Amino acid sequence: MADVAISTDGLTRVFGTQVALSALSIEVPRGEVLALLGPNGAGKTTTVRLLNAVLAPDAGSMRVLGIDPLVDPDELRRHTGVLTEHAGLDDRLTATENLLAVARIRGMDTAVARRRIGELLERFGMSARADQRVAGASTGQRKRIALARSLLHDPEVLFLDEPTSGLDPAAIRDVVAMIDSLAAEQGRTVILCTHFLGEADELADRMAMLHHGHLEAFGRPAELAAQLWNGIPATLEVGGIDLPAAADLVLSIRGVLDVTLDGASLALSIVDREVLARAVSELVRAGADVFAARPETHTLSDVYFEVERRRADDGTTAMGSAVNAGAADAGTASGMRPISPAPPPPPPPPAPRSPETQAQP
Amino acid sequence: MSTPIDWDAVRAVVWKNVTAVKRSKAVVLPMLLLPAVMLLGLPIVIGILAAGSAPMNVGSLLNGVPSNLADPIVSLPERQQAVVLVLGYLIAPLFLIIPLMVSAVLAADAFAGEKERRTIETLLHLPISNRDLYLAKLLSAFLPAVAVSWVGFACYLVVGNASAWPVMHRLFLPTWLWTAVILWLSPAVAAFGLGIMVRVSARARTSQEANQLGGTVILPLVLAIVAQTSVLLLAELWVTLVIGAVVWAVAIALNVRGARRFARDTLATKL
Repeated sequence: MADVAISTDGLTRVFGTQVALSALSIEVPRGEVLALLGPNGAGKTTTVRLLNAVLAPDAGSMRVLGIDPLVDPDELRRHTGVLTEHAGLDDRLTATENLLAVARIRGMDTAVARRRIGELLERFGMSARADQRVAGASTGQRKRIALARSLLHDPEVLFLDEPTSGLDPAAIRDVVAMIDSLAAEQGRTVILCTHFLGEADELADRMAMLHHGHLEAFGRPAELAAQLWNGIPATLEVGGIDLPAAADLVLSIRGVLDVTLDGASLALSIVDREVLARAVSELVRAGADVFAARPETHTLSDVYFEVERRRADDGTTAMGSAVNAGAADAGTASGMRPISPAPPPPPPPPAPRSPETQAQP
Repeated sequence: MSTPIDWDAVRAVVWKNVTAVKRSKAVVLPMLLLPAVMLLGLPIVIGILAAGSAPMNVGSLLNGVPSNLADPIVSLPERQQAVVLVLGYLIAPLFLIIPLMVSAVLAADAFAGEKERRTIETLLHLPISNRDLYLAKLLSAFLPAVAVSWVGFACYLVVGNASAWPVMHRLFLPTWLWTAVILWLSPAVAAFGLGIMVRVSARARTSQEANQLGGTVILPLVLAIVAQTSVLLLAELWVTLVIGAVVWAVAIALNVRGARRFARDTLATKL
């Protein structure tokens, strides 16, 4: 399919007796950022190596940009860029020489490559170090030079393994903005392996959670959250009406899953944001004052820790049946496989994101 | 059908490796020390000894040596016999240690060194085939090894002729034996050593481990072979050429097999 950048079906890799990746089946549309998450040893790096034909799978199949990495690995690598966890720069060469070697291996004309290297090093604030040996560079400087290297040939798919580790806050902001722009404006597909959930939350269209090689959750964070918590949490601050009566009224509205009293507010669980607007309308019609109506969004971090928590509570639940909310709109035939058993009524969300909207009567 | 070699990519890898190695004292110093001692120090010492000591008839040393080698030496003036025997013939087989050692050091740097520096993974993610990557790594060690041998030999010619001038009063180097050893046998030995060392290096985790394996197992083994064949080398020129051809054949077979078996997956598994 033309709009699918990456698809895997049952992708499996075993090292000796250790299963590094077990039956990974995902699809990533072009132009999206996929956050590949999980603790160390989860299988993130193995996934990247498999998708870039550095490792061969023991089972399963995959396509990247329509290319089978096992059939035409070099053609694939011409269209992908990889930032490895370790910057992988030769200390004995200068930054320019490190990049020039890669550009020449990629078949770039030397003059074109030099110009591109100059632009990229300037973009990452490394111009001053361009002709100095890498030996004296800090971790952050190395990371920036390596990032420049991964972008030399303007790749269609970019694999970034911990792109911001070791960077200072300003550099992190720049790199995050760059990744966002690559995907949103230039239509590049980015696979982001990171431990920084805030960064993933900011950038990722989808998330894939791995644990010991098993896919535990895959999809858009909001959709995963809707599955995990059975609805979107929301808060209504009301006055001029008896709160239990208001709760009964709101609970009678279609799309409201649950209402609890929370001090002077109502804590709701709703199927979508439009339901909140209906609730406000009904309350106002009943003569209530609505001071605030806040739909609260579960962040990627919330989803991550909730999946982790459920796995810790009942390992077989999460590992045996991955939360998968990304399949339907990514075009896969496998469909959704909701977590089972059915999740409990909406608990208070762990540290929800700041209110996105506020409705006033 | 196999794809054609991407020479641009191969050249780029060789350029990167050679540029980096030239700046690494830890690699360059041991690589140059032995050639300096053997090709510069030895002829100077022999020249000085020959000029300062009493004439020595080496005829008795050449008992058992084929007459076509012994006769031209024995027929020389006594003062010249030892100089010609040592500088013109005996050092030639020993010279083979140089391409072997240089290529071993560079091969250790090429794979195990890259693993150690964590630069190998970057290379594995680039569009260069396994075969071309193997070839590039091979050439990264082979070309400098041959270059060091040939430049070293050029220095040896100058220093050998100059230091022996007071005794010889003429240019007596290179001999045909030396020429065959340098141009034909020496590159073959380098390629042979590399066929083994690249594999050792690909399996070792550090360049030190690769050097130890190479230094304790491979080099002594090859040296023993060299020692055994030294007498053969001294016999006839055609024997040297035939030995060279055999070594080339083994080296090519080893490296073709090495290139076929070389796999990214194996390397990446050990990262």
